[in-house]
Amino acid sequence: MNPFNRRAFLKAAVAAAPVTASLALPRPARAGRRASVVVVGGGFGGATAAKYLKKMDAALDVTLVEREKVYVSCPLSNEVLSGHGRLEDLQRGYDGLKKHGVNVVFDDATDVDPAAKRVRLKSGKTLGYDALVLAPGIDFDYGGVEGYSEQLANTTHPHAWKAGPQTLALRKQLQAMPDGGTFIITVPPKPFRCPPGPYERAAQVANYLRDHGKKKAKVLILDANDSFSKKALFEQAWKLQYPGMIEWVPGASGGKVVRMDAKANTVHTDFQDYKADVLNIIPPHHAGAIAVKAGLANVNGWCGVNMLTLESEVHPDIWVVGDSTIHGELPVYDAPKSAHMANTQAKTAAGAIIAKLNGLPAPEPFIVNTCYSVTDKDWGFSVVHIYRAIDGKLVYIKEAGGISPVNMDSEEALKLQRKLESKYVHGWLHNVLADAFA
Amino acid sequence: MKASSLALLAGLLTVGMQPALADETEDLARSCNSCHGFNGVSVGPNMPSIGGLSEAYLKNVMLQWKRGERYSATMGRHFKGYSDEELSKLATYFSKLPWVPVVQQADAKLLAHGKAATERCETCHGATGSEPDDADTPKMNGQWAQYLELELLKYRTDAVNMPHRKMRNNVKRMAAEDLPAAAAFYAAQPK
Repeated sequence: MNPFNRRAFLKAAVAAAPVTASLALPRPARAGRRASVVVVGGGFGGATAAKYLKKMDAALDVTLVEREKVYVSCPLSNEVLSGHGRLEDLQRGYDGLKKHGVNVVFDDATDVDPAAKRVRLKSGKTLGYDALVLAPGIDFDYGGVEGYSEQLANTTHPHAWKAGPQTLALRKQLQAMPDGGTFIITVPPKPFRCPPGPYERAAQVANYLRDHGKKKAKVLILDANDSFSKKALFEQAWKLQYPGMIEWVPGASGGKVVRMDAKANTVHTDFQDYKADVLNIIPPHHAGAIAVKAGLANVNGWCGVNMLTLESEVHPDIWVVGDSTIHGELPVYDAPKSAHMANTQAKTAAGAIIAKLNGLPAPEPFIVNTCYSVTDKDWGFSVVHIYRAIDGKLVYIKEAGGISPVNMDSEEALKLQRKLESKYVHGWLHNVLADAFA
Repeated sequence: MKASSLALLAGLLTVGMQPALADETEDLARSCNSCHGFNGVSVGPNMPSIGGLSEAYLKNVMLQWKRGERYSATMGRHFKGYSDEELSKLATYFSKLPWVPVVQQADAKLLAHGKAATERCETCHGATGSEPDDADTPKMNGQWAQYLELELLKYRTDAVNMPHRKMRNNVKRMAAEDLPAAAAFYAAQPK
């Protein structure tokens, strides 16, 4: 840490500490050696963490381990299904991080030894760390829907819940769908990545069908849950833009899918069987495999973290950011699994890591989430969440945030609001991708 | 981020900024980067750059959004989560960053149209948008074109609550096709 950053942290620590507590003097973390931070996973969370660690303390050794050379953004990938977006525009490489001095290693982390503070890679290499950031996103529990499998996902039944080749495969199936056909989306129990995602997908699919002479086709959402993110906004948009085309079956009405038959293209709930022309199973998921293997996940498959620092509740000196985490007892989706959350959590973790390496208390977190959905041309809306530290807990600020207004004083005002947010989503995506990767 | 920007950051942490202010505000300001870019320089196409705008302007719009006195699609919901003091400090923080125009090319015909359409704007914003006549008026040279166009649209829409009558009246006097031209004109100005 350079002296200026150290001074900044000392000041922040003094400001944050209760007046009665004495402040420990910073201790040299490692005699005569630069501190090493390893980041596993180069999505929104991991890339942001690696970049901001270097920005906040250029003297750190930061290594990012990532499997793929090109990252594909999940946000806005539903627009690829309708044809309003292109997958190429959602891709980013890792040269930006290299320019910041991050050592980018294309490899696969296979083991973490929290006691020895080492990460083993598939290539056989091991990386020692003083601090480890795990940002492995999600992995799927294919067994959650009997009959479904990774092999089916990669061939006839793409979930497309990680953007990439499966997104394009699903688009092809949509294009081939007959008028009068049924596109089924199955939604797993909460928590899942991108809470409004399935409902935005329904709209984008209906958009394609409506605009390609297939207005008699239907989109059926079979949901394990009884409510969903931005529900009033989605239902308003569906009714207005795709009347009669989208049907939502909540868990309480038998929406929870337990089994699928790939050959017959059917899904089965405890009550009923449904036949699809396109069957899009979103399987249940859990924290990325490496986090589970490292023993960081709870019984539900998600990683509990200290709400203020993102440090693992299980092993010290390991921070978990992004979709793998579950954040204490926050009232809103236990912190929504979104790109913006991962981005803002990563900055908080970077600050906390540098503070800990220097023997200082972590700076106060400020966690923001902005999440847009687009249902049609000039029709977008958002939800904002703000979380702040109050009395040692991360609290959702009720006075702020919330969803876009469902109704406004006039139709003119409402149209303007929806148009603005349908544009802002692109500005948000460009900037959040740059914040993480450029 | 370019090396020059990194050097800039180092400079800000050392000499360019009151250290106490940077310390208290930097964690807050970092969350703004997600949408408004590093050092408040947006990569577009409709999120505005905010680094280097005047303190008075930034403070004014943030407080107006928070209090519901100025229509916003999204920002009002954010600012209700900040104290007035924090917003004031954020305004100070971003105002001390340099204004970095992002020059966007446009065809000559559109720019000529834009120049003619913005004559009425000159008195307050300066000929190229870079020299506002007072601290409450924002710079616009090298601001993102689509952002400017959407702001103009807000001022033209009576159904939403936009303050500043002079601004509303002037924008309403513009023809619909003047809006993108005016926006393109300011976006193309380096200084």
